[in-house]
Amino acid sequence: MMASSDPAVIQTRGLSKHYRNVTALSDATVTVPEGRISALIGPNGAGKTTLLRLLAGLARPTGGEVAVLSSRPAQDPAFLADIGFLAQEIPLYRRFTAEDHIGIGAHLNPRWDAGSVRKRLESLGIPLDQKVGTLSGGQRAQLALALTLAKRPRLLLLDEPVAALDPLARRQFLAHLAEAVADGGLTVVLSSHLVADLERTCDHLILLAASRVQLCGDIDTLLAEHQILVGPVKDTTAIERDHTLVHAVRTARQATLMIRRNGPVIDPAFQAADVSLEELVLGYMGQQTTTPAHAHLSMIGEDQ
Amino acid sequence: MTWVVWRQHRNQAYLAAAALAAFAIVLLITGTQMASQYQSALASCTVSHRCSNLANTLTLGSPAVTLLVTLTVVVPCLLGVFWGGPLVAREFETGTTQFAWVQSTTRGRWLTVKVGWALLAAAAWGGAVSVLVTWWSGPENALQHQIFQPSQFDIQGIVPIGYAVFAVALGIATGALLRRTLPAMAITVGVFTLLRLVVGQDFRSHYMTALTRTFSFVHAPPLPAGAWVVAGGMVGPGGQTFSSQTGSGAHLNIEGVPVNPANLPAACRALVFQGPQKLFPCMNARGYHGFITYQPVGRYWVFQGIETGIFVLMAAALLAVTAIVVLRRDA
Repeated sequence: MMASSDPAVIQTRGLSKHYRNVTALSDATVTVPEGRISALIGPNGAGKTTLLRLLAGLARPTGGEVAVLSSRPAQDPAFLADIGFLAQEIPLYRRFTAEDHIGIGAHLNPRWDAGSVRKRLESLGIPLDQKVGTLSGGQRAQLALALTLAKRPRLLLLDEPVAALDPLARRQFLAHLAEAVADGGLTVVLSSHLVADLERTCDHLILLAASRVQLCGDIDTLLAEHQILVGPVKDTTAIERDHTLVHAVRTARQATLMIRRNGPVIDPAFQAADVSLEELVLGYMGQQTTTPAHAHLSMIGEDQ
Repeated sequence: MTWVVWRQHRNQAYLAAAALAAFAIVLLITGTQMASQYQSALASCTVSHRCSNLANTLTLGSPAVTLLVTLTVVVPCLLGVFWGGPLVAREFETGTTQFAWVQSTTRGRWLTVKVGWALLAAAAWGGAVSVLVTWWSGPENALQHQIFQPSQFDIQGIVPIGYAVFAVALGIATGALLRRTLPAMAITVGVFTLLRLVVGQDFRSHYMTALTRTFSFVHAPPLPAGAWVVAGGMVGPGGQTFSSQTGSGAHLNIEGVPVNPANLPAACRALVFQGPQKLFPCMNARGYHGFITYQPVGRYWVFQGIETGIFVLMAAALLAVTAIVVLRRDA
């Protein structure tokens, strides 16, 4: 999984983050190749924010290795210039105008594209000279995203960027993001706990649950590797032996299994179907509900 | 980064500049009046050879302005609370560190420039207030010779600069540790006030070994002008000292030296209420002398320097803590 012809923009191995007794992220091994839009998906408290903060250098790992754009996240102007990070809380100076923020960005960043922010805000009808505290949540999110893009980063790390946007704005924003990636030189990781938000735009997936990486890779490849089998409730050990069982739902009449295939499924009693991204994600999340202790700990962890 | 700091704090700077300007106008006007009042009083008393009594007869300045000047003792604390406390705490509190720290400027530079300008502003502002107060107090100092009095010492010369720098550093450090503005402000007030009191009351008199002067009660010389009398008392014939701190009960004031009547020789004790003309020769005849320990006025600037140094060093230690906390802890 680690080997790839594309240069990896993000490469972590065994990355973990503990806060006193709480594990926020455990043994995370993740690879994101250049030019991808990666969906970082997981339930609330799965460790998404922690992973993004570790990648941005805002937090230090307690264990493992992390390489972002071939270097360790560090307090280094060159590294920081390459990273665009937007926290979930959309941190902006509430008493400053959008124009003030553009000024701050211009003074703190080497390749600052002030024009792009103004153009974007004008097209969205967001006033440049009004205090940010008086803007709506959606407008603030749009401003923050535009400011993050104006840095012209090589890696964009967005924590729940569309949460504050209405459905139309979500679609427009994701389209805008796809355009920026298509222009080249940009890789994006954006987190969400809703698959539907990201399905249209993303071509790469990092699935986190209970502080652990459940899946990481190209979405098309992952979908092709998984299958849903529907069949009689009988002994499934043969299937479980040949393949990896991800999730199983057994009713009195039938069993629905999600498996990660190792070769073709040749049991005629089962009807095979392709999985959708949503089914895949839910399958892996459902698996985690069997270990509630972990899930509980990681939910505490994300607040840190 | 300097531009950013200015953009963030320019309103505070304007407010502070306006307050300082108003204060300067009041002091320049009243200070000029006081200086000329003092000069004319000095000129007229020189003619009549009665200048030795001038300190008792001449009152300079209005009580309101004197009160205003006395109140400048809280200026460093205010700077610590309103400039130091929120400087980094507010950014943590509102989450804007997560905006500032992902621009292409390192945390180290962010902190250095912010803290640097805050300290510079504190030193400049504290210094400006002190320069005005020191100049304004010139005639009063010349008249009363009380520059070592805490009410004068603490608001004149260079110590206010040290206090201001320390207070702002204290506010910044507590803010960086707690990441909460209001608690940082409150702790700044408490710790600053406590340290100022402890240093002023317990340490200051020990910066240099105090001088001692023994004198006869009969020919008591005047106290050294402007000196800070740290202690005083009585020396018995056997060399035993009865300093003002020893013994209990009521004290008599003999030539500016507090003396417990219980320590007087029995033969003289009866003369206590018959005036110094009888009491002093009695004590002198039995070998009793007075003494004072004091810091001479010539040491004033050394004391100012030492106290400023203490507070600047404490500020440096707090800034080191701030740097460690901000650079090492997660955002």
